[in-house]
Amino acid sequence: MQRHRALFVLAIGMLCCASVNAQSPFAPKISGPLSQRVVAYQIDAKYDPAKHTVDATETLTYHNLTGQALDRFPFHLYLNAFQPKSTWVQEAHRDGYFRTSNLEEWDQKDNGSNEITSFEVAGMGDLTRQMRLISPDDGNADDKTVFEVKLPRPVQPGQDVQFKIKFKATFPEVIARTGYKRTFLLAGQWFPKIGVWWHDQWNCHQFHAMTEFFADFGTYDVKITLPKNYVIGATGVQTSGSDNGNGTKTVTFHAEDVHDFAWTADPNFKVVESQFDGSVGRVKIRLLTYSGHKSSWQRYVDVIRGTMEKFDQWYGPYPYAQLTVVDPPHGAGEAGGMEYPTFITGGTSWYVPKGDLHEPEGVTEHEFGHQYWYGMVATNEFENAWLDEGINSYTEVKVMDGLFGRNTSALNLFGIQEGDGEELRSFYLGDAGFDSLARASYTDMSMGSYGAVSYGKTATMLSTLEAIVGEQALRNALHIYFLKYRFTHPTQQDFMRTVNEVTGQDLNWYWEQAVYGTQVMDYEVLRATSDPVDWYQQDATEKKGATTYETQVILHRKGDFIFPVEAEVKFDNGESIRERWDGQDRWVRYVFHKKAKVASVEIDPDHKVTMDSNYLNNSRTTERQKGATEKIAAYWMFLTQFLAQMLSWLV
Amino acid sequence: MKAGDIAGHRKGLLAAGASLLWRRQEILWWVFAVNVVLGALGTLGAARTLNAALGYSLAGDQLLKGFDLGMFYELLRLPDADFLPSRFTAYACACLFAAFVLFISGGILEVFRQERRLNTGDFFAASGVFFWRFVRLALFMLVPFALLRFAYRDVRNWSEYLGDKAVADQVGFLILAAGIIALGLLAVIVRVWFDIAKVRTVAENESGMWRTVWMAFDMTLRHLGTLLWMYLRISLVAAITLLICFLIWTKLSPTAIPATFILLEFVIVSQLAARLWQLASATAWYKQYAEAVPVDSVAFAMPLPEEAIEPIETPVVPEPDLSPLNELETPATETSQDIPIRDDL
Repeated sequence: MQRHRALFVLAIGMLCCASVNAQSPFAPKISGPLSQRVVAYQIDAKYDPAKHTVDATETLTYHNLTGQALDRFPFHLYLNAFQPKSTWVQEAHRDGYFRTSNLEEWDQKDNGSNEITSFEVAGMGDLTRQMRLISPDDGNADDKTVFEVKLPRPVQPGQDVQFKIKFKATFPEVIARTGYKRTFLLAGQWFPKIGVWWHDQWNCHQFHAMTEFFADFGTYDVKITLPKNYVIGATGVQTSGSDNGNGTKTVTFHAEDVHDFAWTADPNFKVVESQFDGSVGRVKIRLLTYSGHKSSWQRYVDVIRGTMEKFDQWYGPYPYAQLTVVDPPHGAGEAGGMEYPTFITGGTSWYVPKGDLHEPEGVTEHEFGHQYWYGMVATNEFENAWLDEGINSYTEVKVMDGLFGRNTSALNLFGIQEGDGEELRSFYLGDAGFDSLARASYTDMSMGSYGAVSYGKTATMLSTLEAIVGEQALRNALHIYFLKYRFTHPTQQDFMRTVNEVTGQDLNWYWEQAVYGTQVMDYEVLRATSDPVDWYQQDATEKKGATTYETQVILHRKGDFIFPVEAEVKFDNGESIRERWDGQDRWVRYVFHKKAKVASVEIDPDHKVTMDSNYLNNSRTTERQKGATEKIAAYWMFLTQFLAQMLSWLV
Repeated sequence: MKAGDIAGHRKGLLAAGASLLWRRQEILWWVFAVNVVLGALGTLGAARTLNAALGYSLAGDQLLKGFDLGMFYELLRLPDADFLPSRFTAYACACLFAAFVLFISGGILEVFRQERRLNTGDFFAASGVFFWRFVRLALFMLVPFALLRFAYRDVRNWSEYLGDKAVADQVGFLILAAGIIALGLLAVIVRVWFDIAKVRTVAENESGMWRTVWMAFDMTLRHLGTLLWMYLRISLVAAITLLICFLIWTKLSPTAIPATFILLEFVIVSQLAARLWQLASATAWYKQYAEAVPVDSVAFAMPLPEEAIEPIETPVVPEPDLSPLNELETPATETSQDIPIRDDL
């Protein structure tokens, strides 16, 4: 009986596989809902490329899984952020810029909007007049990025409610991850989107300049009508396409277990296709690019495949059938470097040097990483940006180092080198001490501070954590964290608790400083001297190998961040000793009696403690090190001479 | 006289200029020496700062064995390693060198004109005589350079605008590149124009700078092809030298500091030599040009002290074609009597 049952199960399994394979070679082996699917969006959109507008009808079915009756529902209208008095613009203007855009001045082309022409609720009628703009974060009455509707009667727990919304989206010239450039369109945050019921309340923040998004998982069925010469790509997979006979076509996309839907279109797109065989099936890679970027096509494909392989090995499977990669055209940099579920945008140029400047690879890798840290582990980007941007920056370093070498993963050109981790560390140290990771990200001091801590500090902080728990243990922790929290909305406590549990260590002392604090770490070798022990004898002569010296080493914790460090003391007879200091006091003294003088002392000799803000004072030698000074001075002198000569040409 | 006629007789201008510079190479070495000294002075502060930060640290290894950009940022970020004053010192030294070159330009051109070594006193006397005139020339030159600067801004805006409209990536870049090349050529023409003005000022002991500017402008326009081609060929030699040095630099070991230093200094010497070669060639051109006009118009600006006279190597000058002379305007000139000559010069 047992044997028959096993055969039966095997036969059913084979049939399932066969049917999956018959549908599509790219269908993943995972079947069934992966998430709770709180929402189901059906959108019928018509794109007018001349006006850069979309007229659409959205049918949103919301499953009330909150366990309580709900009568108020907030929605995002993200495109309304691109209006001069919005909170987004005010915040970006405060800093003067947003990514590559100058926001010192307002350009009419930056205007965007979401206008709702009709809002109905199935069984409750037209509630357009019930819509009320709200500003839960800053009370800005001119901000129109969130509205709320109060239903005539509540939706009971376990029940569904269906919203039918007619809206018009007007895109700005490309800014902040959305908009048009010439014939190119990246349609992001383009439709009215419901907030998230989280921790027993609605979480529906206004659109802020620094931070990104937060939404519930669900399904999307989106029908887009556009001129038939346009090449289109979107979240999910294309399920149908038809020529309407009037110069337009209608293309339908379906996506499951995702929390956003973005699409792109341009008649000038070139399509490059590839695939990746992951642990749960084959994934189709569809690159939408331009002929002018031909030199980057293979680079995109290579880095995507390399990244997918590492993520598959280290953290878990990519369960979707397709990944769409968009390479924006020139002048549309604001559309580059962005992530949406199963859909990312990269960035390159015709002049990017081949091979050694890994900027296109770094961006593409980073955005793919977001499929895990944002796409599947869907943390709240408004409040805890470090959980998506930061963890993703850390894994970016691991992948980029794995693909291109630790010290050359960002740049290796004409002997000038930089590792990706070092680049992120520099980013962090630029604005190290202002905001903690735990602070609600959208309230950070400035764009610079937000970036420094969300991206740079987290990557550096996790890299430093390896010095305590080990690289493999942290990788295991991330693996478990991914498996446990994919398709949910974990908090920062969930992350820290998982790391504590998997590594088997109570790391709260570390989280207190690194996540909740703004302390900056800086250790220095304050003193490294050797004196003969018989220094007081007038006729004593020093003889190498015979004279006994007392060596004193003082290590100093200059910064407020307390962290255990190792120090290596090297003597002039080749001997070396390692000491471990818990860093609790402000300083520590080590004394050695040896027939050798100290040659050098180095804190963190294995270069693991990347949070240390100043590497230069981490070591001290007793002999002068001239090489680096002479080298840089030679170049400095050359540049001065060259400048002098250039100026003399002008007189 | 048709533009280009003189060119037919001036096939050896580059060689003449090179030969002149070779014979008077002490000028190159003096100018280079001053450049080195000012370069070193502009580096002292930075070297001190670097030494304070890296002198007893192992971290410098990452800058020595290769060049770790992250470590370099680290260095620049250090609050106690402030490079700002050092940068100002470097700028100041660069400006000082430019002023120095402006000052000695008269002496250099006098040496080229006379094709003989001047003693120190004579050299600086000539420099002093022409200094303020060259300062005025430099001020006049600001006008065309300012116009070129404005033109560059327009070219950049135009390239951005058109590049933004175009589907092809390279359109903006190509427009900008074409614009920069065109403006670069115009800048070289301005340089030629004012070099000729300087050469003429020295040759004719001209004190009317407006006059010399316009006459030089007229000469430059009439013989633009010859002069521009002459300057461009020298610039090309300088650019090729720079490229070769760059290729050698890429092959050097990161720790080969003495070799790197020598290579960098060679670059400086080669660029200075190219500039002096241009001036020497311009002087040679003007001499040949002036042969087509009455002799009294090119009277020596400076006396020739007996003790300083060296045997003059006769330059190879082709027989001038005097037939088109009647088409040449005789420039209004002043002679050496206008210059107060001190007995001790």
